[in-house]
Amino acid sequence: MALIELRDVTKTYRRDAEEIGVLERVTISVAEGDFLALMGPSGSGKSTLLNLLAGIDHPTRGQITVGDTDIGRLSEGALAAWRARHIGFIFQLYNLIPVLTAFENVELPLLLTSLSKKQRRDHVMTALGIVGLTERASHYPRQLSGGQEQRVAIARAVVTDPTVLLADEPTGDLDAKSGAEVLTLLQRLNREYKKTIVMVTHDPHAAERASRVLYLEKGTLAAQQPVGVGVMS
Amino acid sequence: MKFAGLVVKSVRRNKRRTTLTVLSVAIAVFLFSSLRAVLDGFKAVSAASSSTRVVTLRSTSMIFSMPTSHEQTIRSTPGVEDVTYANWFGGIYKDPKNFFGQFAIDPVSYLRMYPEVILSDEDKRAFIEDRTGCIVGDGLAKKYGFKVGDKIVLQPGIPVYGSQDYEFTVRGIYRPGASNIDHQSMMFHWKYADERSTIKGQIGWFVARVSNPDQATKVALAIDQQFANSAYETKTDTEQAFTAQFASMLGNLNLLLGSVALAVVITTLFVAGNTMAMSVRERTTEIAVMRTLGFRAATIFSLVVGEGFLVALAGGVLGALFARIIVNAEALGLSGGFIPAFGVNNFNVLVGLGLSAFIGIAASLIPATMASRLKIVDALRRVA
Repeated sequence: MALIELRDVTKTYRRDAEEIGVLERVTISVAEGDFLALMGPSGSGKSTLLNLLAGIDHPTRGQITVGDTDIGRLSEGALAAWRARHIGFIFQLYNLIPVLTAFENVELPLLLTSLSKKQRRDHVMTALGIVGLTERASHYPRQLSGGQEQRVAIARAVVTDPTVLLADEPTGDLDAKSGAEVLTLLQRLNREYKKTIVMVTHDPHAAERASRVLYLEKGTLAAQQPVGVGVMS
Repeated sequence: MKFAGLVVKSVRRNKRRTTLTVLSVAIAVFLFSSLRAVLDGFKAVSAASSSTRVVTLRSTSMIFSMPTSHEQTIRSTPGVEDVTYANWFGGIYKDPKNFFGQFAIDPVSYLRMYPEVILSDEDKRAFIEDRTGCIVGDGLAKKYGFKVGDKIVLQPGIPVYGSQDYEFTVRGIYRPGASNIDHQSMMFHWKYADERSTIKGQIGWFVARVSNPDQATKVALAIDQQFANSAYETKTDTEQAFTAQFASMLGNLNLLLGSVALAVVITTLFVAGNTMAMSVRERTTEIAVMRTLGFRAATIFSLVVGEGFLVALAGGVLGALFARIIVNAEALGLSGGFIPAFGVNNFNVLVGLGLSAFIGIAASLIPATMASRLKIVDALRRVA
């Protein structure tokens, strides 16, 4: 059964009198435990699609369902609470809060829960353990390498045990070695922890790690095929 | 409470900017508390003024005097129970900067008129019996170390009192029984000053006690009518109005000090508001990230307001405490004569803290609204 359903999702932006189409009647199903890579050239609408899935942007038309929730029907406040519970977001530029330590950055989403301080601490240390950075808990982002920062960002994304992990070019700002480590980590989260992941990437090597790849071109779905079958175009 | 750490971390993000904002609020609260203290001092004097006493001055100006013959006329006015009089001496004690009030009085009637001047019977007797004797307030005695029996030499400050020094013997140290009595003043025999005055028999002001306070205005009018069209026309008013007249010599204090305080507060509000707006603008991406993580708009709003509140309150505590410690008329050598004793009391401190809280909240309302209404996607796109 599909965990995520996009039905005829269209997204247009208005610039003055001009209407610019970004996504056109996109329909996608993502099963629970799936690791989906979204590929496509710049401006193809893949990041917009991810934002719509995260509930930080709204479709012009169409329906997005995650689990039993039609997120288009949620109010702003309910949507924020829904994101806190169901979405883990990994950004290309990590976006850690510079004045918070790695521990505090990971703890940030837990502040929105009713967990006690001790429970929050346990959760944070578990998440940092998964990404292999427990010894860096007291370090500030400026004291970490790019790869380590992204791993902290991944820990922040998984600490609430969300339903879906959304990653926007997670290796886009990393060197090859760090990028590979991050992808291995995402793969592990998918395989060992059964996390459903939707990842936007330009990088065919990154897409290879996914179990399924979708191509977007000019806002429409171009193809859908298993990884390793002519992905590297 | 779990967000408190987040607020503190944000406040400490740019230490120099936070310190400058804290200091600007501290200065505003310091000035506000100090100005309030001065106003309160004048109000306290006015409030403590008797409703049964009326004061008669020359109608032209309080700096001009009247003949002693006015006393009998005032005393015979219906409704008047008792009369006393005084002159401003304006002498110099060693150095002009050693300013304090010096009043030439008629000891018997003056001390009868002002039971708030508290003096032991023994000191009172000694003062009345000694033509060159004087009494000093306990504040003045403490300031200059005056003791009973000490000699005080004053150089005349007003030409009418001649050029020769006046020597006094301290016969008593009084303490004020109400706010309208200054504890940093000196009183001595009017006759002693009059003997050496180049114009004899001159009085600065008369004070009359009326039998019925409700009739005070009517009696005041009756007194003035008796001197109408004479060479020495008078202006009689209640003691409260008399006190207010001294204050008005400094201009409209309420308006002046109030305007200064308001200008300072509004300026600080803009400074703090601009700082908060700058701080929020710099964190656009962070706020967008927090919203993506699930922080509600209302939570973001509260965090920004909390930040403004914390910074301003820190400034408020600093400013109010400084004002409480250092703004004291006595310590600053500002009281004496017609300037009332004033100081920043606990209430003024609380008002200062309230003001700082208001500045913090008001200054952060617009930045907080900006932050909470941020479009997440647009904010993330700015750095992507």
